[in-house]
Amino acid sequence: MKGVELKSGDLEGLFKGLLDKKVVDCLILPHRVGNNVAHMMVTDKDKIEPPVPAIFAPSFSVNVANIVKGWLIKEKIGIVAKPCEIRAAIELIKLKQMDKESVLLISVDCPGAFTNQDYADHAEEIGDWVDSAKIEELKGKGIAIREACEICDKRLADVGDIGIVRQDGDNVVVVGITDMGVEALSAIEDISLEDKDIDRSGEIEKIVSEAKKKKDALPEISSVEALEEFLRDCIVCKNCRDMCPVCYCKECFFDQPLGNPVGGDLLNIAELRGAIAVPANQLMYHLTRVYHVSTTCVGCGACEDACPKDIPLTRLYPVITKKVQEIFEYVPGKDVEEPLPFTVYEEEELEDKLR
Amino acid sequence: MGEETTKKEEEEFEPKIVGFTCNWCTYAAADLAGTSRKKYPPNSRIIRLMCSARLDPMFVLKALLNGADGVFFSGCHPGECHYIKGNYYARRRIAAIRTILKQLGLDNRFKSYWISASEGEKFANTMKGLTEEIKELGPSPLRGKIL
Repeated sequence: MKGVELKSGDLEGLFKGLLDKKVVDCLILPHRVGNNVAHMMVTDKDKIEPPVPAIFAPSFSVNVANIVKGWLIKEKIGIVAKPCEIRAAIELIKLKQMDKESVLLISVDCPGAFTNQDYADHAEEIGDWVDSAKIEELKGKGIAIREACEICDKRLADVGDIGIVRQDGDNVVVVGITDMGVEALSAIEDISLEDKDIDRSGEIEKIVSEAKKKKDALPEISSVEALEEFLRDCIVCKNCRDMCPVCYCKECFFDQPLGNPVGGDLLNIAELRGAIAVPANQLMYHLTRVYHVSTTCVGCGACEDACPKDIPLTRLYPVITKKVQEIFEYVPGKDVEEPLPFTVYEEEELEDKLR
Repeated sequence: MGEETTKKEEEEFEPKIVGFTCNWCTYAAADLAGTSRKKYPPNSRIIRLMCSARLDPMFVLKALLNGADGVFFSGCHPGECHYIKGNYYARRRIAAIRTILKQLGLDNRFKSYWISASEGEKFANTMKGLTEEIKELGPSPLRGKIL
C-alpha cells in the first residue's frame, strides 16, 4: 500500500494541496463550531482553518453521506469523514445516488463518538485525540460514547479512496486505498509516497471482540410485544428516515396516502377495525424501514440521534439488519464493486430460510 | 366457566391465512386442485401476483400487522420462472423478511413454497398442512390490536 507518514498538523497542508491542485473541486470536512464539531464545504483553500485535528474529534453531527446523497454532479467532491459515513457513501454509490468518479472518499480512524451534548459539555476534557484508555477513563465519570459506536466493529480507516490512520503521539499515516486515492495523493507536491505496510489485524480483532461483547449485552427486541413497548413513544415523525443516509427513496411510501392515511381515509380504516392508533402505521413504518435498509444499514446511529423521543433506535436498526447482512455474508460499504445482495442471486441458496 | 369458554374458543379457532401466489404456477395449481375436486381447508384467501418477484415484503408485513394469523407465498420452482429469474430475486427478499420476522417470533406465521402448475395435489396438501400448523400456533398476537 502506498502512503506517507505525517504529523497531524500537516494534514492542513494535505487538504490545501488537494484543493490547490484541483484534485477536488470542494472538500467537505468537520470543523470547530464553538465547543462542538460540524461540517463545512470548502472551495477556497485559505478557508481551511487549523486545527485540522477536528477531523478526529469524537463527535457525530450528521452522517455526511446523507448530505451529498443524490447530488449526481460533475464536480468532484472530497469527503473527509468517519468510516461509517464513508461506508454509507459507498452504499449510495451502489444505489446510484452518487457517482463513483465524482467523489474522493477520505476515511479517518474513529475512536467512537460522544453524544453532541456530552461532547459540548466536556469538550476540553475529551479533547481531539481520544484512545480506548481515555474512553474508559471518561466512562468512569459518566461520559459514555454513543451506543451505536460501542457496538461498531468497523471504525478503522480502511474504506474509501484514502485512509487517515492514527499512530502513536500525533503521528498519522495517510494511505491511498484505491488507485484514485493514490493518484490524488501523488498530485500533491510536498508529499512523497512510500510503500507502507500497516498490519492492523490485532487492533481489528480487539475492536471486533469488544464490540460483540457490548452488543450481546444490549437488551434484545425479541417479540412483537417487545417491539411495541420499544416504540411506545414513537410519534412517527420520520426523522429517523430523513437522517438515515441509506434511506434514499425520492418519494417515501409513508408520505403517500396509502402509507400515511389522513382524514376520510383514516376514518374509513377506523370504521373497518373499530379503532386505529394515530398517527397511523407506526409498526408498519419501522418494520418496513428495517427491511428497506436491511442490507445497507451501516450502523452509524444517525437515526437514534434524530429521534426527538430518545428511542434508542440503535437497538432496532443496526442490530436487526446485521442479521440479514449475515445471511448474505454482506458487509455494507466494504467494497464498491461488490453488488447489493438484492440485485444478484445464486441458483441454489437459502432454501433453509424460506419455511 | 371462564376456562371452559377459552377452551371452546380454541377448539373453534379458524385461522385467517393470506396467500400470495404466482399467476403462472401456484395459482394454476390451486385451480387444478379445485377442478380435480381435491379437498383442502378454506382458511386461505389467495391474492394472485403476476410473478414471485412482485411479492413486496411489505405485503407480508401489512397482512401480519392487520391481524392475519398466517401468510404464505408460493411460486414456481427455482429455475422454472415464467420470467426466467423472478423467483431467484424473490427468494432473497423472502429470506431477508423472514430473518426480520424471526427476530420478532413471527417467522412461523410466514411460509413460502414452490408449487408448479401441475402440482394440484401438492397445493391441497400444503394448504392442509399449513392450516394445521397455524391452528396449532393459535391466533396471531397482533389480532385485534389497536395499531
